[in-house]
Amino acid sequence: MNAPISGAGRYIGQRVLRKEDLRLLTGRGQFVDDVSIAGVLHVAYVRSEIARGRIVSMDLEAARALHGVHAVLTAADLGKFNARCSNMHLHHNDGPITRPLTEEFVRYVGDPIAMVLADSRYIAEDAVALVWVDYEEEDPLITVEDAMSGPLVHPDRESNVLLQIGLPPNPEFEKIMASATHVVTGTLRHQRIAQSTMEARGVVSNPTGMDELTVHIGCQSTHIASAAIAQAFELPENKVRVVAKDVGGGFGLKAQPWREEVGAIAASLLLRRPVKWIEDRFEALTTSCPARESDITTTMAFDKDAKLLALACVYNSNNGAYPHMPDAGMPVMMFMPGPYRIPVYQFVGKAWLTNTVGLGGYRAPWAIEALARESLFDKAARQIGIDPIEIRRRNLLTASEVPCLNALGLEIDNITPMECLDNLLTKIDVPAFRAEQAEGRKQGRYLGLGIATYIEPTAANGVFPLLSDHAQITIDHAGKVIANLSTHSQGQGIETTHAQIIAEQLGVNVDDVTIYQDDSTRSGFGPGGAGSRQAVVAGAAIIRAAKILTDKVKAIAAHALNANPNDVTIEDGMVKVAGAEAMSRSLKEIAELAYGDAKRLPPDMEGGLEAQYRYTAERMFTHASAAHACIVEVDRETGFTNILRWISSEDCGVQINPAIVEGQIAGGLAQAIGVVLHEEFTIDARGNPTAVTFKDYHLPAITDVPTFEYTHITTPSFSDGGFRGVGEGGMIIGGPTLLNAIADAMLPFGPLPDALPMSPTKLHNLMQNEPVV
Amino acid sequence: MKPAPFDYFAPKTIDQALEQLDRGAGDATILAGGQTLLPLLALRMSTPGIIVDINRIPELQGISRERGATRIAPVTRQNAALANAELAAVLPMLTKALSHVGHFQTRNRGTVGGSISLGEPAAELPAAAVALGAEIEAHSVNGSRRIPATEFYIGPYATVLEPDELVTAIHFPDWASGSVTVFHEVARRPGDFALVGLVGAVTLDQGRVSRAGLAWFGMGPTPIRAAATEAAMLGQNAAQLDWAGLAELAVSETDPFEDHSASADYRRGVGRSIFARTLCEALNKGAMA
Repeated sequence: MNAPISGAGRYIGQRVLRKEDLRLLTGRGQFVDDVSIAGVLHVAYVRSEIARGRIVSMDLEAARALHGVHAVLTAADLGKFNARCSNMHLHHNDGPITRPLTEEFVRYVGDPIAMVLADSRYIAEDAVALVWVDYEEEDPLITVEDAMSGPLVHPDRESNVLLQIGLPPNPEFEKIMASATHVVTGTLRHQRIAQSTMEARGVVSNPTGMDELTVHIGCQSTHIASAAIAQAFELPENKVRVVAKDVGGGFGLKAQPWREEVGAIAASLLLRRPVKWIEDRFEALTTSCPARESDITTTMAFDKDAKLLALACVYNSNNGAYPHMPDAGMPVMMFMPGPYRIPVYQFVGKAWLTNTVGLGGYRAPWAIEALARESLFDKAARQIGIDPIEIRRRNLLTASEVPCLNALGLEIDNITPMECLDNLLTKIDVPAFRAEQAEGRKQGRYLGLGIATYIEPTAANGVFPLLSDHAQITIDHAGKVIANLSTHSQGQGIETTHAQIIAEQLGVNVDDVTIYQDDSTRSGFGPGGAGSRQAVVAGAAIIRAAKILTDKVKAIAAHALNANPNDVTIEDGMVKVAGAEAMSRSLKEIAELAYGDAKRLPPDMEGGLEAQYRYTAERMFTHASAAHACIVEVDRETGFTNILRWISSEDCGVQINPAIVEGQIAGGLAQAIGVVLHEEFTIDARGNPTAVTFKDYHLPAITDVPTFEYTHITTPSFSDGGFRGVGEGGMIIGGPTLLNAIADAMLPFGPLPDALPMSPTKLHNLMQNEPVV
Repeated sequence: MKPAPFDYFAPKTIDQALEQLDRGAGDATILAGGQTLLPLLALRMSTPGIIVDINRIPELQGISRERGATRIAPVTRQNAALANAELAAVLPMLTKALSHVGHFQTRNRGTVGGSISLGEPAAELPAAAVALGAEIEAHSVNGSRRIPATEFYIGPYATVLEPDELVTAIHFPDWASGSVTVFHEVARRPGDFALVGLVGAVTLDQGRVSRAGLAWFGMGPTPIRAAATEAAMLGQNAAQLDWAGLAELAVSETDPFEDHSASADYRRGVGRSIFARTLCEALNKGAMA
């Protein structure tokens, strides 16, 4: 049963075109805003115009009087629900009490203080413009530095430190620092970034019947959404139905419903009317759980052979006022050691509260570990005087060293970073590049090569709800296949990849498999799109459920045809008996037997062709590995960075669909390019977000993203199917690969500044120095 | 992001449009291609009481030749102007600038007059109008006037147009055949507004500069004519110009700002580099032609 699928099958490993695309490309997708319900009321939020202060008075009368306005609600109106937002683990004891509307104190620009419900969003916004709020304004805390010295963001808390984590001080550490041959330190400041999902957040909440609630919502798991809504309103979870057919990107933003979605649901329950809130792009760029803002100072100590002796990090994260994903760096601490041998490790992390919109999780929320570690390895290599590739070779765990426990006690097993690096280096002629780089510098051309390696922890079997996934597969009476999966897609192509797995296992045509994952009441509980898990865990659940089903088909066919079940195979929708061509039956014929002719089934066999399996990965993490390289040129005239080549060498185990694997890598790399070069959620000294449209918030455009070169290693994982996750890897490795390339290009001018992004202004400024070649 | 309520008029003639603007008494806004206005309305950064949609007025569309000049009617789509072969032959500098305005999709809708009368300081067309010596013809119920582009812009998105005035044409004077195109734009991504941009034309007569029109964009609150630089070049032998000195002079005429995309120092520094290189390359090409 554990035998992995090796190599390409009829469907596994094939570039099957996406089943979703015809629907999406012809405008037949069903996103939240496509849901229309008669009598729906549209929400617009009245939001704080200041970052910190007290509401002295609020005049809602003119808004309430506007024709077409049904209600203007405040925190007091929603008070009867006592609704609190919970995090994706469905508990809320690690963040400040977070309710849809604030009551007396506003804590960031955009803090929702009232909501208008009207016949249209136009009217609702007209009414918002008529609301008059009188504030007693205070100076806001914008940065972590402000939070360290300023007054409390939440006066009911003891300090502005929301969470603090760390490893107990290791007495060895100071000794090592004092005696190590080389000690290298670096600080990296990661800017705040906006989530920028193609579809912003949205919800349509519809109370029905006596006590049922149907909620259409942009989510990453219908089940987590349903559980979080039930918890917020103290409803039985089996009465809350969450439906989400198509979702245009999640990245963590839609991991759980947040203030605005919970507010809209509260209004629907209060008014007993369907209610719709669709986040617009202004809201998305100003008040929608931005991510990442943090800084990290990393110190590495090496012996005379450039082998790591110790690693220490100090991490601070700006969590804003109401973090969607409270972050003191727990996953950063867990994954910082990565694929390296690190004898002694220290980490201290703090989550700081400020008067800014709350921090959200974003694709690989811990990605700063790779940025910090990989850029410091390059700095160390330069300081020690060895090649950046060589310093990695000396410190990467080799195949003979695993399984092992890393410095934190996490098991590291079945990883291939060295193999990925070796494979990468067959695609790039490093000595030739170095010669070209040296020649270029003489002519005023500044080329750089960046390399980074990592392991990506995927398919966690750790903390609820990141545990298991469920597959329920039916061959219907007509021989077609329906699968209800605990998964959820925000664009990953699961309807295709998971249909490929089913088609491969059942021996049917992929076109005859339809996957549903859009309704919390139809499929088994699962965490959906979170932690790069759906191929691995749900894929294995499918394989096991399909095995139950194929065994049953074989048993029925063998009984009906008087054959040995071991001689029965299913290929291309035909059930065949070895050596007896004439006995072949279509799957439809066997299905008709299973559903319609109980007398011809084996004795005591239940009718029908239905099977389910809930799979839990055996290991805490299934690691994917990779090494990437990129070559850039930084233009001295403009400070622009031009990416000339980018090579990905990754091992995500058995690939279900290489085109989708490459799509995942490319998407993550594009976001990483945005982080390193372009994106920045800027906030002025009064707390106002200042990049409020895509004119000022610079996403990478197609012209900023090169044509990536992919090369794959496929080492099966321990899970059935041999798959490994690939959802976050590009985002993790892209940043340090590009940053290292820029640092290499800029070497003649000096070290890069600490703060991302590496904008033209910063690089141009550094390039005013005379180059030292 | 829904516009505040407004009254909407779509006049069929210029006179009807002028009457609406007159009646609007400062509360009326003109809708041409809508590429800037519609986002401003959606963000409620602009909340006019009346929108006068001039897209259905036939006289406001098209390109025609007049004595010594080309007349571009304001609602002419940027893509239509870009594709106009006659314009490309007479004013290649303008065609070049048009090719950098927004994106293919926005140029299908965006208009020449809309861009010129809006006065975005980092946009290509207002600077081209200043550099090439265009005149902007405006009408109101009280009459008409022609305003030199060099006197048209007074600040970011601010012009000398009165609230009741409608731009009815932009007149671009001819440049002698063989005049060289000066154009360079530094932008983060194709279609973005410029971080630093330079546009203009230079005419050579037996190797000497006989006419020069140069303007910066993205280098101050308005498009900025490099008037002193033009004067310093006039009459000079193009092969013997002091590029470093001229670049310094040209940048000294600017007044750049800091924003999300770049610092003021960055703009000056890049401006210095591109000025010398762009003009040098253009004149070398011109001299060879």
